[in-house]
Amino acid sequence: MAFSLAVPRSPAEAVRLLADAPPGGAEALAGGTDLLLDIDAGRVAPSRLISLGRLPWRTLRRSGGDLVIGATLPLRDLERDPRLPRDLPGLYRAVRAVGSVALRHRATMGGNIARSSPSSDLLPILLALEARVRLVGPSGPRELPLPELLKGPRETTRVPGELIAAIVVPARRPSAYLWQRVRPSNDISQVGVAVARRERPPYWRVALGGVWPVPARLSSVEAILDSPDPGDIAVELAAQEAARCAPFVTDKRATEAYRRRLVATLLRRALREVTVP
Amino acid sequence: MTGGEGTGNAALALTVNGRRRRIRAPDAERLLDTLRWRLGLKGTKEGCRSGGCGACTVLVDGRSTLSCLTLTHEVAGATVTTVEGIGRDPVGRRVQAAFARENAVQCGYCTPGFVVALTGLLRERGPKLPPERLLEDLGGNLCRCTGYAAIRRATEAVCREVG
Repeated sequence: MAFSLAVPRSPAEAVRLLADAPPGGAEALAGGTDLLLDIDAGRVAPSRLISLGRLPWRTLRRSGGDLVIGATLPLRDLERDPRLPRDLPGLYRAVRAVGSVALRHRATMGGNIARSSPSSDLLPILLALEARVRLVGPSGPRELPLPELLKGPRETTRVPGELIAAIVVPARRPSAYLWQRVRPSNDISQVGVAVARRERPPYWRVALGGVWPVPARLSSVEAILDSPDPGDIAVELAAQEAARCAPFVTDKRATEAYRRRLVATLLRRALREVTVP
Repeated sequence: MTGGEGTGNAALALTVNGRRRRIRAPDAERLLDTLRWRLGLKGTKEGCRSGGCGACTVLVDGRSTLSCLTLTHEVAGATVTTVEGIGRDPVGRRVQAAFARENAVQCGYCTPGFVVALTGLLRERGPKLPPERLLEDLGGNLCRCTGYAAIRRATEAVCREVG
């Protein structure tokens, strides 16, 4: 419960503080909406938190064809970007699915990725958008495709002292994110289905959340969807194939059988949402 | 704490309901506990203490914030508005009046969170917002008496007045 807090003013200082700490001794604190819950529950017990709140990463900018999302930008600021609903409808819906407004005033995309929850609402759409993650660390900056960063629940492949600085996605892409929950607001999704359509083949990217320890893309489903405007038969085949990508988990939120049905239904709807204007 | 190194029980300043407060607080202290136990502002309620109910909602620099999941030192220097101070804001005053008029209060435990969250939404979004969106955005606040119908009426009434 008791930890000390450091508030570095530069990324280099934050990296140094984290890298110098004994293993498991320090955790990076972004919005804290997930980490503090884990600390309260005793699942982690860092002796020190390194706040990222004063780092210059609360940014959002468009550069070339990319949208570069600063790791510590509150999700609510991303949601309120006037172009997001039209340019990246799937990402907009996914951001709105995270917690509540008050939670999104503090929660961040960098934190969501670093905490790597199996039922993250952001990871599926970021996978479908082929997001890349910019990191800074003791041996300098690097950029990784998101799947290479995800390792397991609450686990990433970051090296000690390494921090997520920004997330890069295409500035515009037809996309959708659909979820199912017990309560529509401020609940955790039983299943999340993300789809995004590229301009050139391979046209479709499809990813699932809430069904495995780590959200992931469905390459066998993507292979079935070989047209930018798949007909009813292709959509149905894709939905059936997605449900066959089981085993999915059974937990307190849903059984595997229910999740299979959700995956098929939500994928059908998500594909129609993107293809039917 | 302002420097790079944590000291464990540092001083900080907050402007709470218009009043500048200088306090010392342990690094791990939550804003909820600072407000309730250090500053005696018991209007802000502790519900689930895990970000699920919205009872602890306060405004930090005008933005609705879950004080149970916010470290006090993380908001050092900020302006905090709790339900005790929300009536100083003209929008907050209207929200309070609408909740009273529509009887949107049963046991009252969730009320401070609703009033603060709705005030934050109205201030953030400005006029001309659709009431459906406003109600959707209030989804982070729970009322265990399920007094939602009255809360909805109050919200729609404020929406008409302010919009």
